[in-house]
Amino acid sequence: MDIFTLSFWGISIALTGFSLVKSKKKTFEAMKKSKGMMGNMLGEIIAIIFIIGIVLTFIPPESIKSILGSENTALATIIAAVAGSITLIPAFVAFPLVGSFVDVGASIVPAVAFLTTLTMVGIVTFPLEKKEFGFKFTFIRNSLSFVMALLIAAAMGVLL
Amino acid sequence: MTVKTMIKKNKLLVMVAVIYLILFALMPDNATTAIKNSIYYLIEMFEVLPVIFLLTVVIEALVPKEWIIKHFGEKSGLLGNLLSLVLGSISAGPIYAAFPISKMLMTKGASVANIVIILSSWAVIKVPMLANEAKFLGVSFMSIRWVLTVVAILIMAWLMGKMISKREMVNDVIDHSKPKVVVNQDYCIGCGICVKMMPEVYELTDQKAYARLENVNSGNMTMIRNTVIKCPTQAITINASGGAE
Repeated sequence: MDIFTLSFWGISIALTGFSLVKSKKKTFEAMKKSKGMMGNMLGEIIAIIFIIGIVLTFIPPESIKSILGSENTALATIIAAVAGSITLIPAFVAFPLVGSFVDVGASIVPAVAFLTTLTMVGIVTFPLEKKEFGFKFTFIRNSLSFVMALLIAAAMGVLL
Repeated sequence: MTVKTMIKKNKLLVMVAVIYLILFALMPDNATTAIKNSIYYLIEMFEVLPVIFLLTVVIEALVPKEWIIKHFGEKSGLLGNLLSLVLGSISAGPIYAAFPISKMLMTKGASVANIVIILSSWAVIKVPMLANEAKFLGVSFMSIRWVLTVVAILIMAWLMGKMISKREMVNDVIDHSKPKVVVNQDYCIGCGICVKMMPEVYELTDQKAYARLENVNSGNMTMIRNTVIKCPTQAITINASGGAE
């Protein structure tokens, strides 16, 4: 557990304690409500995690290198953005991987597109997001994020 | 709960289990790798979800609705956007951890635009992640990408705030297996009687009442029936379908 997650544990436990002291009844009512809400999500989250496991098995992180290294930068950027939308590679794996590649002299545009869609667009988490916020919201948010990732990548290409 | 409703409630989980069974039968090596890959994320989930649970409890119990509306609501303006950005950025955990918190803030009055900001910055901007990025790709790469991302998130939030209304979103997530309470927007005159009777279920937005369906359950059905009777224009209807659809 990194220091950030740990401090989050500390803060949330302290706040819950404070809430319990302030009003036991209100806190327990809130717990019941949250339990209902998160209980509904738990099954889906676990399902999604095991889907990620499958995706990572058949599209290993290393395979992204062949996409990023393509000759046609425009095409590579779009494919990289799609790959980033589908996979969910942990950031601490993605950064060194992309970094090593940029160091060798590959174009950064596809690399940025990949890094940005990796976190901002979630095809795998789509069903969960849809359930909480509705289809329209989820669809627009993910599509807009995809387009924005391409724009960010293009802008980075110009600026750097 | 019968087996059938259990399966229906966990459709995705059952589907994934079936896929794994097939995978184990046909490609046992790949199946084992897939399980191993999943374990990292499972650990991450158990590190983060209890915290998220406690935080939603704290928001619900300690933070008054008026405060959320003032700081994250439709009229919170640029300051509300900044606050949402900070909230998303100091967070921990993957994007799905942002769903319960955002949902809770939304039901308590946060605007669509600010929900977009919280979700997006939660996913993309994280201090430990930024440090990692600077280490492997350089400080200038990281800072330029960060600035561009923040701008992109703000534009997205503004666009989505214009494109989607909150009422539309609430209607979009109706769980059809639960009793459904609908306020007919054409009949509602915004008198607020239902809101006064059951503030936990009804909400008044833009002079029209609408039902917060996540708070509708069999326990408060009797009281909801009373609101149906009291409504002067008979705009409220209950549709108690037990999964018949």
